Amino acid sequence: MSKSWRFISTIAKKEIVEFVRDWRTLLALVVIPLLIFPALFIALPLLLESEAAELDALELEIIWQGDYNSDLEESFNDSNVKFTFEPLPANISNLSDIGDDLDRIRTLETQAIFRLQANDSEWMFAILYLSTSEASNEARSRVITAVGEWESDVVNGTLVEANLDPEVTLNPVKWDGDWESADAATKGEQAGLALSLFIPMVIAIWTASSAIQPSIDMTAGERERGTLEALLCLPCSRLELLAGKWLAVASITSAGVALQIGGLLFAITYLASSSIIGVPSVSFTSILLLLVAVVIFAVMVVAFELALAMKAHSVKEAGSLLGPAILFIIFPALFTQVINLDTVESWWFAIPLVNILLAMRELLLDRVIFEHVLVWLLSSLIYAGLAAWFAAKQFKREDLVASLS
Amino acid sequence: MTESMLSLVGVGKNFKEVEALTHVDLEIKSGQVIGLVGGNGAGKTTLLRLMAGVMEPTKGSVLFKGERVSSMRSKLGVVPESTGLYSRLTAWENIRYHSRIYGIEDQVAWNRVSHFAKQLDLTDSLSRHTKGFSRGMRQKTALLRALAHGPDILLLDEPTAGLDVTSARTVRKLVGQLRDEGGTVIYSTHHLAEAQQVCDRIVIVHNGTIRADGSPQELLELTNKNTLEEAYVSLTSDKARLRTEDDTKESKLAKWWRIFLTGKTPNSMEVGEDE
Repeated sequence: MSKSWRFISTIAKKEIVEFVRDWRTLLALVVIPLLIFPALFIALPLLLESEAAELDALELEIIWQGDYNSDLEESFNDSNVKFTFEPLPANISNLSDIGDDLDRIRTLETQAIFRLQANDSEWMFAILYLSTSEASNEARSRVITAVGEWESDVVNGTLVEANLDPEVTLNPVKWDGDWESADAATKGEQAGLALSLFIPMVIAIWTASSAIQPSIDMTAGERERGTLEALLCLPCSRLELLAGKWLAVASITSAGVALQIGGLLFAITYLASSSIIGVPSVSFTSILLLLVAVVIFAVMVVAFELALAMKAHSVKEAGSLLGPAILFIIFPALFTQVINLDTVESWWFAIPLVNILLAMRELLLDRVIFEHVLVWLLSSLIYAGLAAWFAAKQFKREDLVASLS
Repeated sequence: MTESMLSLVGVGKNFKEVEALTHVDLEIKSGQVIGLVGGNGAGKTTLLRLMAGVMEPTKGSVLFKGERVSSMRSKLGVVPESTGLYSRLTAWENIRYHSRIYGIEDQVAWNRVSHFAKQLDLTDSLSRHTKGFSRGMRQKTALLRALAHGPDILLLDEPTAGLDVTSARTVRKLVGQLRDEGGTVIYSTHHLAEAQQVCDRIVIVHNGTIRADGSPQELLELTNKNTLEEAYVSLTSDKARLRTEDDTKESKLAKWWRIFLTGKTPNSMEVGEDE
């Protein structure tokens, strides 16, 4: 084992051990990343489903004002809506005029008021409801469905009376066959497209945000606690110290990102079993390049964050510097989502951060375009090198030895 | 015959425009306990940091057995004033971390540490996290950490500052024992009595210069005084300056903000306070 590697690995090991002994760290870097996607993709739909089922089971009572129609009554009964009849109020300008019924609706004395008026050959209607109440919204929705069904029956009856075929008259242009089978993209490619819309963003934002805390703790934190001076007295060089700390932050961040991706894959597998999304089909070359892209991105982001944190004079100042810096990741990540990959010019792949995010999007679509790969690989290596140079410059500063505590 | 361990030749150190140390010449020989004595801001810590190789001199050179000290840090053991212990690690883990970087086998370090831990009455606390340690226990742990790799020179920055009487006595006793065993210790303090008790040689540092260098007896003879305190006062009679490193700490941006918010420059603030 070379001397340099001994220094680097010893520093990295100690940093990791010390870092994971804090339960808050474990919560932030293990539990949250592991659970965030299953919570988002499994628990949230289940919750929404159960809420929807609860709403469906609700027995709703509305007031029906105005004219009566037996066919519509039948539709209401099918929609699990109970009603009581009332005459139309006298002092309203049109059916949507709530008038004296305002308080009844606002106090939810009734969940909705359905008003119907026969007018020569047509029917006029309105539904009075409270949009901030879920029960009232549900009542409105059921009434609209029932009215729609009744309207359909009325239209069909009229067409039949006129000796017309309702199906041919109302739907003269039709899709032939199964529309899904007309898509040339495979299920795996479609899944890749869906994932390419958020995986690069998740990796970018999570890598940057999860590296903040360890970066600050291992730099400005050490200065503030007065442990850095003793460390600088050791026979390792500042670059070895930087490499050790970089390795520790990168390992911690990678573990966080890996756990998050693990959670994501678990959620995708669950969704795939429910036929909501397929498993993406990505070639070995794309996976390999994807890993290279993530590693270069991590080198760059972690080195840059370590440098910024080391530049700070205190933990508080480091937090103030690195907190807003996350915006420099979020905005490019968002903008990159709307760039059209079919017509994207090669120079886009040379813009810092955007290049890696675009590369990840392309690779998830299994598009390995040599020119693009060359541009993002070279430009990213240059940016990562610059970030490492900046970090090395900060670590070589002589005033680091002065404790801030 | 004692060999030369550390030599400082024409050493000067500037922090931007502030001159922290001016033309320091010092020769440290093996088997000595040397006390660096001076007030706050005298330049003791800067001198120790130069000797530890964590700072480079602006002028002159600091050599360890003829080599640049920054490349010979493995031969030194340093206890900074802040002790620098990691609170989420145990005392032994703190020590082991440093000794591994020095390339010392864990068992070798443990044997050496156990020997000194008994004398410092710290054996039972080696497996405890240092979070709850008292200042004395932290200082003792830092001492053990600095000794674990068997350094040729031990550099101690105010090792008894903030310690209770018993702990300070234990630390001094250990330094005495190291001297008896032929070790070389450089001991920074601002307590003359302590320096007189522990050190063979006292170097008086004042306003970044060395005012006197010799045994307690030699200092008395040099100044023609009866006590070391009187000797010290006569050697450092000019007004002490402000801490040199404090002058460089405020960034330009912070300075502009302060002036923008208060409308005062440092000089006008001092005048205001005096008034």
